[in-house]
Amino acid sequence: MNARPRVVVIGAGAAGTAACYAAHAAGAEVVLFDGGPGATSLSTGAVDATPWEQRAAAAATLGLALVAEPLPAEVEAFVTALGCWQLVPAGGPPAWLATESGRLRSARGHDRALLSLAGLPHGARVVLPRVERAEWDADALARALAADPAARALGVALGAADADLLRLHGEERIPAADLAARHDDPERLAFLGARLERVVADERRRDRRVDALLLGPWLGSREARARELGERLGLCVGEVLGTLGGAPGLRLEAARARLLGPRVDLVPARVRSVARVDGELVVRPAASSRAGAGAPTRADAVVLATGGLAGGGIRYVAAEQDAPRGAPARARVPFALSLEAPVRLGVHGEDLDITSSTLGPSLDEVGWPTSAAPSLLESVGLRAGPHRELAPGIFGAGDALADRPRTLLGAVATGLEAGRAAAERRD
Amino acid sequence: MRRLCYTQTVKEPRAALARAPRTLAATSGESPRDVDVAIIGGGVNGTGVARDAAMRGLRVALFERNDLAFGASGNSSGMIHGGVRYLTYDPEVTEKSCRDSGHIQAIAPHLLFRIPFLMPVPRRRHARILAVLMDAFFAAYDRYQPLKRGKPHTRLTPEELRQLEPGIEGDIVAAMTFDEWGIDGGRLCAANALDAAERGAKVHVGVTVEQIERDADGAVTAVRYRDRHDGRGGRLTTHVVVNATGAWAPITASLGALAPVHARVRPGKGIHVVLDRRVSNYAVMAESIDRRAIFVEPWQNVSIIGTTDDDYYGDLDQVSATTEEVRYLVEGIARVLPSIRSARIIGTYAGVRPTLHAWGKLEDQLSREHEIIDHTAHGAPGLYSMIGGKLASYRLFAEEMTDILARRFSLSSRCTTHRSPLPGGEAEVSPFALAERIGVDAVAARRLVYRHGARAERIAERIARRPREALAVCTCEPVTEAEVRHVVRHEFARTVGDVARRTRLGLGPCGGVRCAARCGAIVAEERELAPGAGAHQALEFLRRQARTRVVGLGPEQAQQEALGIATVRAQLGIAHDEAGE
Ligand SMILES: Cc1cc2nc3c(=O)[nH]c(=O)nc-3n(C[C@H](O)[C@H](O)[C@H](O)COP(=O)(O)OP(=O)(O)OC[C@H]3O[C@@H](n4cnc5c(N)ncnc54)[C@H](O)[C@@H]3O)c2cc1C
Ligand SMILES: Cc1cc2nc3c(=O)[nH]c(=O)nc-3n(C[C@H](O)[C@H](O)[C@H](O)COP(=O)(O)OP(=O)(O)OC[C@H]3O[C@@H](n4cnc5c(N)ncnc54)[C@H](O)[C@@H]3O)c2cc1C
Repeated sequence: MNARPRVVVIGAGAAGTAACYAAHAAGAEVVLFDGGPGATSLSTGAVDATPWEQRAAAAATLGLALVAEPLPAEVEAFVTALGCWQLVPAGGPPAWLATESGRLRSARGHDRALLSLAGLPHGARVVLPRVERAEWDADALARALAADPAARALGVALGAADADLLRLHGEERIPAADLAARHDDPERLAFLGARLERVVADERRRDRRVDALLLGPWLGSREARARELGERLGLCVGEVLGTLGGAPGLRLEAARARLLGPRVDLVPARVRSVARVDGELVVRPAASSRAGAGAPTRADAVVLATGGLAGGGIRYVAAEQDAPRGAPARARVPFALSLEAPVRLGVHGEDLDITSSTLGPSLDEVGWPTSAAPSLLESVGLRAGPHRELAPGIFGAGDALADRPRTLLGAVATGLEAGRAAAERRD
Repeated sequence: MRRLCYTQTVKEPRAALARAPRTLAATSGESPRDVDVAIIGGGVNGTGVARDAAMRGLRVALFERNDLAFGASGNSSGMIHGGVRYLTYDPEVTEKSCRDSGHIQAIAPHLLFRIPFLMPVPRRRHARILAVLMDAFFAAYDRYQPLKRGKPHTRLTPEELRQLEPGIEGDIVAAMTFDEWGIDGGRLCAANALDAAERGAKVHVGVTVEQIERDADGAVTAVRYRDRHDGRGGRLTTHVVVNATGAWAPITASLGALAPVHARVRPGKGIHVVLDRRVSNYAVMAESIDRRAIFVEPWQNVSIIGTTDDDYYGDLDQVSATTEEVRYLVEGIARVLPSIRSARIIGTYAGVRPTLHAWGKLEDQLSREHEIIDHTAHGAPGLYSMIGGKLASYRLFAEEMTDILARRFSLSSRCTTHRSPLPGGEAEVSPFALAERIGVDAVAARRLVYRHGARAERIAERIARRPREALAVCTCEPVTEAEVRHVVRHEFARTVGDVARRTRLGLGPCGGVRCAARCGAIVAEERELAPGAGAHQALEFLRRQARTRVVGLGPEQAQQEALGIATVRAQLGIAHDEAGE
């Protein structure tokens, strides 16, 4: 065994990133296998510890004010190191984010480019510039947000204003993330700033108050450009919470690269299996990966941060669906981990069992979540013991774990715990 | 007349054109009534009668409990076929069917699309003889094909078959091709309802009839109705009630204090499985494990697999496919097209056929023909039930029903529904020219013209006034903002689900995750509802659609489903809505 323990982290989402960070901090040599974008890269810019609606419902039931829950100090420290998220202080009001769907929702924190309405003074007016893009009907959105009870409680007014923010032909139709990437260019950002200045000036000339500008998820793909814009304009500028696969995920990936670059050995490959061979853990990448990346890696401990169904770490396969042609379907557990490992999947506190049906479990009733219960598709995962240990030397983190609410800070917290435990493990 | 809570009458009705001079001899002596005919049910048959009756000058009100095409009409296999199944024992039916298929094509050319079928003959005992017989059989069908502009059949060798459809496997001795037409049943109902309204009929969507009132002699006097969205009710007096409620017919009869057996149907549930794209070049027939003929057909932007036929006695407002039914179909098709197993299922839909009732026969052998019941025989003069029927024969069935009404009201005007174009069928519109004019891509324009025919021009006019309405709300299908606003304003849509039935918004691969909320906001705005109501409708739509998908869940779709749930949680909240509104 090396002097420094060797920890292999599989999965480069929020959980895997946190696990690398903690394992490195605890003195381990860290190898990270990145299998491509997962839930973290697709998430939309809100950062929660407990799902926001659960907290909102609990506060409403108890008749209490909604406040930001305390977080472990190490989670806060990690978020600071990562740099792309902004948390609100514990005990204070939550962040309030405007969603593209026209609702205001609370959050524990958010991507730095997003505008939190909680920070605005009572009586503030938020202006949405009109832009010819499908996801952005500024008038309708302003109306919907203004009608949300939270807007009234916060004392924030919203309105739309004419603007001319697109520059090149076809920008009405390019994906939002591409538009965001164009604003990485300082010259283009200056153009946007100048155009927004005009919007503000026009509004003020008409004696309309402007305290903040709310835009689509277009403000940079490498870094949040909202603050620069805000400083130039002397007011708050930020994005709405967009839909899946937008700029916040790209900014997070960039932040992750900055954080982990100096700390870990990154292998851009999917892992095929983790097995214990002669007392040692052996991690085998998938054969199709980049040349040279196919060699097995030995490890003292492994962290499975492979995500849930949304992130691709768990797959749903009913028995007959992957049966070879002509061969009878083999009875099996209908969910599978994306790699082979001596661990077990479970849900609702129990191991998953072989279903007595070649068609898989009866999904008819459990597909869509209700207020009482999450969907089966959000709950299936690995069953872990103390310190997130799944099997000797193998730890789990994030969405890969069963029965945990799918949140970014939850993924971070479990990732830090698993990473540290992995680094400190001695046989 | 009392004001209805939600009524859409169309401006500039063409009623004046259509209204023939009429004598009320048959009804003289009766007290004046709000309308001549109240039609219950907004499927093809109800909307078809509403159109015909309005064209002949009757004052018509139509009530639809859920949405136009909510029942069998919007959940069928979507074929206007020529009645090939009747060929051997009742060729007259085949001829009639083909002729009427031709009529539907003439009045709504934009709505029909050709579906060429391949029928492989697998090797088994007497397979070659079977092939010869089938060849002769389809040769007989060819005689009627010209009536519906169908192409003659061909007989293919196994090699030719594989050239046309490389995915087909198995030991096949020959194959036949034959020609049918596809249609969007939702559009067909909308077009008929729209035309009826433009000729003066009142169309009430989301309004259920709760009672059919009768006088001391048993005769129909009025209907009592309730708006299911806002709960407001009312009463409308009428001379005649037409029960065109398909599988609901016995229940509807009971609303008039008739025994349900007087309007009996055999409810045959059928499901379809929707795949994410067109997986084959042709429609392909196959046999299920119990030797029923099933098929996979390219249909609009997707492929559908159909269908089953099982007695159904559950809630007709909540019919949905089960896992078993989905696998039954997929396994059946997989015998000739094995790749179907790994195709991505993005949804299912289910409907209940209102088959004529008879004991002792297997479902498939029951005739699908129709019958009009005059409930005078049951002591309820003025009440008629339309039982059975098909999409393909709706026009004829409606004509027969309206002929009865015409006699009752002594109208001299004749049926012209086979000649007068449905809205959109008046003229041809080039999707390419339209695309250029309104600034959408040609595919989007093509779909728009498919759905609205010449009426696409009206949507283009909207866009000319407000260019941002050319932007896509739903990118899968695709559907523009202008079209969404148009169907809410002019085609009686009241919810996100209603918009989906008319435009296919949210029915593509993304399952509405990207467009339902936006659509809800537009519906709320058009209908002057609170924005929260739009979000609520969107969630309701997403929930309902998720239920139709989960029964066909495969590996890829399961991940989509999980991503969809996460997105909706982040954007709208799921628990929140149930608790909060
Ligand atoms: C649309 C959306 C909206 C969301 N909204 C919110 C929100 O508002 N608030 C909130 O707090 N949370 C939200 N979440 C949830 C949050 O994003 C997840 O809980 C969190 O990202 C999970 O992180 P993870 O690292 O556990 O998993 P993931 O981010 O899924 O990472 C798993 C990684 O493992 C990789 N992997 C899997 N198998 C292998 C293999 N065999 N070999 C190598 N690599 C592999 C995958 O490629 C992936 O990169 C949202 C998620 C989504 C999708
Ligand atoms: C699986 C399947 C496949 C089919 N395939 C084909 C095909 O390919 N080609 C073809 O020609 N035919 C096909 N058919 C048959 C065809 O779809 C039906 O025969 C036809 O649509 C029946 O129309 P309808 O108007 O009578 O009934 P429906 O379309 O069922 O309409 C009845 C309506 O009445 C409404 N209603 C009920 N109660 C009330 C009330 N109290 N007040 C107000 N409204 C009420 C319901 O909401 C419903 O919308 C198929 C049917 C099924 C189920």
